[in-house]
Amino acid sequence: MKKVLIIGGGGGGLILANHLDTNEYDVTVIDKSDLHFYQPWFLYIAFKGSKRKISRPIGELLKPGANFVKDEISTINLDERKVYGSRKGVYNYDYLVIATGTNPDPDSIPGLRQTYDEYGDYHTSVWSSQKLWSNVSKFKGGTVAIGQASPTCKCPPSLLEGAFLLEEHLRKVGLREKTRIVFFTPFPRAYPAEPMNRVVEPMVKERGIEVMPFFDVDTIDPQTKTITSLEGDSLKYDLPIIVPPCKGTKIKIIPETVQDEDRFIKADKKLMKITGYDDAFAVGDCNTLPTSKTGVTAHLEAMAVADIIQGKYSEFNGRINCPFDTAYGKATFVIADYNNPVAPYPPTRLKHMMKMTMARIYWMTLMGTADPIFDQFFKFTRPEKLNKKYATAD
Amino acid sequence: MDAVKIIDSRGSACPGPITDLAKAYRNSKVGDIMELWATDKGVKADAQAWATKTGNEILEVKEDPEKISIKIKINKR
Ligand SMILES: Cc1cc2nc3c(=O)[nH]c(=O)nc-3n(C[C@H](O)[C@H](O)[C@H](O)COP(=O)(O)OP(=O)(O)OC[C@H]3O[C@@H](n4cnc5c(N)ncnc54)[C@H](O)[C@@H]3O)c2cc1C
Repeated sequence: MKKVLIIGGGGGGLILANHLDTNEYDVTVIDKSDLHFYQPWFLYIAFKGSKRKISRPIGELLKPGANFVKDEISTINLDERKVYGSRKGVYNYDYLVIATGTNPDPDSIPGLRQTYDEYGDYHTSVWSSQKLWSNVSKFKGGTVAIGQASPTCKCPPSLLEGAFLLEEHLRKVGLREKTRIVFFTPFPRAYPAEPMNRVVEPMVKERGIEVMPFFDVDTIDPQTKTITSLEGDSLKYDLPIIVPPCKGTKIKIIPETVQDEDRFIKADKKLMKITGYDDAFAVGDCNTLPTSKTGVTAHLEAMAVADIIQGKYSEFNGRINCPFDTAYGKATFVIADYNNPVAPYPPTRLKHMMKMTMARIYWMTLMGTADPIFDQFFKFTRPEKLNKKYATAD
Repeated sequence: MDAVKIIDSRGSACPGPITDLAKAYRNSKVGDIMELWATDKGVKADAQAWATKTGNEILEVKEDPEKISIKIKINKR
């Protein structure tokens, strides 16, 4: 039996394992943690104080026949087909899939570590989101500086979703008039993809959220409560909500040329094969594909890799489908692929219901049981179709 | 002079080529020459706005059926 070794039991790793035939392949998932987390819910912990349980044991999310091993991988040698764990030793493989997600790096920006430990964020962990909620609940008014510290981040809509949900919260508790919300971003506008910016910018304006574009965090001074940007601007805050930069894997990979300067793994954008290798793939947030780092892309990449390993023709077309909560009960989706730009798809209550339903059926999607629903949805919302309908209506 | 650093952002619709440019800027130094490749049409206006804001220089913009390539010199970091 051919051995498929999957490193990382996040969305990408689990979906891949669950789409392999365990009668034909010896499938093992290795993760340093016993638990899988539903990360999109960090937002609702951080801005609504949600207490929903968002983790489940990885072993219970795998189909029968697939194995789970808890171990932290420290080194991968692609030339020798060997993977080294810090707890249980050496693993061999016929096919390797790296699906290790991203690593937050608050130490790469002066002053960020202290700010992050004190205030938390809405992106990194249950702990950091609870920390932020405790600070948001204590907040009495002043200036909130909210945004991503650097351009590399997962789930592009989630940054502005944070600002929208914060604004809604402050209005609800009667603090909106006493607060200035400044959303800073390294991009030229509130939402990086221009067609979607056209949809959300009126909401940003209407809700009085100030935008500081081209603001890439250089340093933070917790004493004077000031953030300065690489572009030379500065921003004073009372409450800082800063999402740390995302970096690639901490694993040492041989050869090191397969990683970029932020440690993301270089891979073919349609086949996810690690550059120069036919038996090793990088799936999801850990790779350098020119697409958003989201659960949906990890999911679609994983399904394509499962097909490729099992000898079926398949490729990833760059499809993104990021749910975007615009607060006050509405949401939209950011939809595009490698050949079609983002469609200016308007927010509705129905799409908000879909986002919330997704949060409920998430565990099913990992098992593959929701695939037929997704297939239909993806067909119905092809970006070329949406662009025809909405882009021309502008 | 160092080799031109290619930033291949072809196919990226969201967050888009400007993400890759901003990311490369963070890891760059004064004197570097970068060439951004993109298919997203908005890249020309965005790269220009970015260069104006950051005080860097667009040396050349080329367009062919495959891609738009923008050559940028880093003057400020
Ligand atoms: C606030 C927020 C909102 C989001 N909203 C959405 C959304 O609405 N829709 C959407 O599609 N996506 C969303 N995302 C993005 C989505 O959560 C991620 O893109 C997705 O989880 C990526 O899956 P992955 O498998 O690549 O990585 P992950 O799910 O991060 O999994 C990586 C796994 O690898 C393990 N690992 C790492 N290093 C090692 C090692 N050395 N050894 C062993 N194991 C290791 C980790 O423990 C982890 O379990 C959101 C993210 C955030 C933070």
